[in-house]
Parts: sequence; structure tokens; C-alpha cells
Amino acid sequence: MSDASDTNLIVAAHRGQGRAIAKFIYACVNSILRYYPIFILIALWELTARLGLVDPAFMPPFSSVMITLFQELFVSHELLIHTGYSFARAGTGFGLAAIIGITLGIMMGRSRMVESFVDPLISVIFPTPKLALFPLMMVFLGIGDASKIALIFMGCFFPIIINTYTGVKSVDKYFIWNARTKGASNFQVLLTVVLPGALPMIFSGLRIATSMAFLMIVASELIASNEGLGYIILYAQRSFNPELMFSGIILVSAMGFIADRLLLRLGHWLFSWQENEDE
Amino acid sequence: MSSSAAPHLSICNVTMKYHTANRGDLLALDTISFTVPTGEFVSIVGPSGCGKSTLLYIVAGLLRATSGEVLSKGVPVAGPSPDRGVVLQNFSIFPWRRIVENVAYGPEMTGLGKRERHALAMKYLRLVGLADFADYYPRELSGGMKQRVAIAQMLACNPSVFLMDEPFGALDALTREILQDQLLQLWEQDRKTVLFVTHSIDESVLLSDRIIIMGRRPGHIKQIVDVSLPRPRRSAEIRLLPEFARLRNMVSALIREEAEAAA
Repeated sequence: MSDASDTNLIVAAHRGQGRAIAKFIYACVNSILRYYPIFILIALWELTARLGLVDPAFMPPFSSVMITLFQELFVSHELLIHTGYSFARAGTGFGLAAIIGITLGIMMGRSRMVESFVDPLISVIFPTPKLALFPLMMVFLGIGDASKIALIFMGCFFPIIINTYTGVKSVDKYFIWNARTKGASNFQVLLTVVLPGALPMIFSGLRIATSMAFLMIVASELIASNEGLGYIILYAQRSFNPELMFSGIILVSAMGFIADRLLLRLGHWLFSWQENEDE
Repeated sequence: MSSSAAPHLSICNVTMKYHTANRGDLLALDTISFTVPTGEFVSIVGPSGCGKSTLLYIVAGLLRATSGEVLSKGVPVAGPSPDRGVVLQNFSIFPWRRIVENVAYGPEMTGLGKRERHALAMKYLRLVGLADFADYYPRELSGGMKQRVAIAQMLACNPSVFLMDEPFGALDALTREILQDQLLQLWEQDRKTVLFVTHSIDESVLLSDRIIIMGRRPGHIKQIVDVSLPRPRRSAEIRLLPEFARLRNMVSALIREEAEAAA
């Protein structure tokens, strides 16, 4: 009895905190329920491995992969270091592509001269699989960071510049006209009409580029590298360490998933003025 | 009728040609000339394709005429200016700005401080009856409300002339009538110069002091009709007058001639 009333008192005292925790638990349960097919898949994985239906040398149980992942990340920091390498390269390539792609895309959309110069270049280079250029980049830039960053840049640059250009072009002429009749200068039109009008398209370009960045980083590190997640996956495979290999794979896909979700959230927040189809 | 006043807008021999890929040059406007005296409400009506919107864009400075010129208060028009306020037909207020930010847009561009332009925007929102919607986004408003925001946005720039391109064209009949009355009321307070493009004959007779009737192929002035209905006007009362019916039928007959010739 007294225990129960004590608990009640504590609950009452920490009511706000309690509510926050309840909310958090509710959110967790909710997301678990939403992604239930994934949990079914994991359960199947664990079961088939434990029951010996697949060779553990190919596919160790999910739980032992998780243990390896935890150890390599937080105890030996081995995976953490490699993740850092991959992330730094992907981030640099993506960042450069975003800055140059958005700037050039806007210039293309606003200037006939830039458009007629850049457009043919894009239509020729864009269909080339960027990975095919990697050996060439290694010749020019070596097998270090530079060639990998260049490859990621190539992968990210095209979706960003094409989306930015399309976005700028699709800004309604009447919005621009309306701004000009209200006294806006060319620069003000760019800042207050063209940019906000094109931003949803630019953003979807950035999302495509994110997935390209992860694709390119893993591919380039698989081909030639001594560090990074792609290297770890290949190294683990060659040294018969399937737990480590799966850890690398899971880490890469988790990073991609989180990056995409973060961008999606940011987009929803930025474009609250737009009609949301899912609401 | 105050047509003795000095012309606010002079449209002198304005011609507009477009280059088309397979039909050669297309003459959209053929030597258009007329004047709009200060404080007069002038409508341009005509069948679709007669170039009436093009003409308005030229007066606004958004398009450049192939030849001829437009004078505003005696000065040639070289580009758009906030002194010549424009309301476009296609709900051109900015969807990414809240209503109050939309109305404050002009003053923001010309460098008015944040607090001052907010106060100014609220003043004009109250004038068009949308003060309660200041923090809404355009998508949350009806078509009629959006056009009232567009009018408030124009008023906030304090223009001396209103150039309106079928501002009520996309609205349903009832909303249209309400907005016509509101515009009349607004205009009768300080009688700014207005050039108003519409394809509605009723609307032109109801609102204007003069109606410029345009024909097409190429776009030209067919006739100019004076409207001597008493002011202040209210839609419901004006429509009952025999003079309204007479003018309406006259303008209608003139436009139908044009439309039938081309149909």
C-alpha cells in the first residue's frame, strides 16, 4: 500500500517528465508497429541462422552481428573510424556538388547564355555511368581521397544541377512579374521569388544526391581503399568475418536511411506553405 | 465625366509583333493609341486573343512594344514601377509567404523597416477585410480572398494608377459581384486612375467611366464608349437602370461582331 502511494507521489511530482516518457514510449511503439515487416525479416533471419538452415559462415545470426557491430563501434572504435572516413568523403563530395550544382543550376535557369553553354555538356556527360569514370579519376587524382571525392561529386552534381535548373525554370512567370511590378530588383526577384519557388525541386535533387553519395562512397571504397565502410565490407568478406561484413552493410544502410529521413523532415518544415498530398 | 483632366497614361501608336517559328511575324497589336485621364476608370474589353492583356503588360512595363510608346504622367515607360500597381489574373501572390508578408512585399523591396511595413500591411488587410487571415498561407484561402490579397498587395505600394488584368476572371459569379462592389467602394474613396482588362461586358459597364472595345487579328481599337451612369454605383442598383441595359447591349453587339467574324 505505502509503496503504491509513494510511487503515486513520485509520479505526481514528475508528472511532466512522466508524460514526456510516455510520449516517447508511445512514439517508439508506434514506429515499431509501422516498420513491422522489417522486424519479421530480422526474426526470420535470426531463426534460420539459429536453426542451422543457412551456413553461419555466410549468414551469422542477427544477434551476433549486432554484438559485433556494438563492439566495433563503441568498444574498439574500429568501425567508428571507418565510418568517419566514409562520412567525411561523402560529405565533402556532396557539399561541393550542392554548392556548385545549385549555383550553376540557378545561373542556367536565369541566363540564356549559361543555359546554352552548360545544357549540351550535361546531356552528354549525364548518361555516362559515373563509376565508369572512376579508373580515369584514379589516374588523374591518385587512389587517395581526391579521386573518391571526385566520384561522389560527379554522382551528386547531376541530380542537383538538373533539379535546380528545372525548378528555376518552372517558377511561374506571373510570380516574377508580380514581384517586378512591386519594385523588386533582379537580385531581389532571385532571392524572394526564384529561390523559394525552386526550393522544393532543389530539395528533391538533394535527396536523390544523398542516395548517390552513399552508392558512390561504398563503390569507390570497394574498388580501391584502405579505409572506409566499403573497405571494411570487402576486408571482412576476404577474411571470413561475416559478422563484421554484415555490420558494415547495416551501418551503411542505416546512415543512408537516417540521412534521407532528416532531409525529408527538413523539407516538410521548410515547405509548410505547400499542399501536402499525404495530409 | 472628368475627361478634361490631364492624361495620366498616354498610349501612343503601340504596335506589338511576335516572331513565330512557322507563321512568320504575328501582329498582336496594331498602332493602338488612347489616353487615360487622371482619376478615370477605363476598361478594355474584347474577345479573347485581341491582345488586351498584352496591351496592359506593355503599359505596366513588363513587355516592350515593338514600336510606339507609353507615357505615364508624361514620362516614357521603360520598365515596371511600383507607381503603376498591377493585379494579375492568375492568383500571383506568393504561396511561400504568409498573407501579411505578401501584402508587405512591395514596401519590403523598397526598404521599409519590418515594423512599419507590417503595420502598413495590416492597414490594407483591414481595408480588404482580411485582417483575421494575416498569418495564413495563400493555399488556405479561397480564390476571392486571394485576389483581395493581391489588391491589398498592390495598394501597399501606394500606386497612382491601377492596372488590373481580369482580376475577377477566375472567380464564381457571386464572389465576382461582391468583389466588384468592394472595388467600386474602394475606388470611389480616392479615385485613382484605373486601366481594367476584362472579358465581362457587365463588369466593364458597371465599373468604368469609359470602355475601350478591342477587335482582333490584328488587335485594334474598335470603338470607345463613354459610360455616364451615376456614381457612387452599387452593383444591384446599377443593373436595374435602363441605361445600364442599353450600354450593355451596345457593347455586347460590338464585341459579338468581332467574335463572329473570327469564329
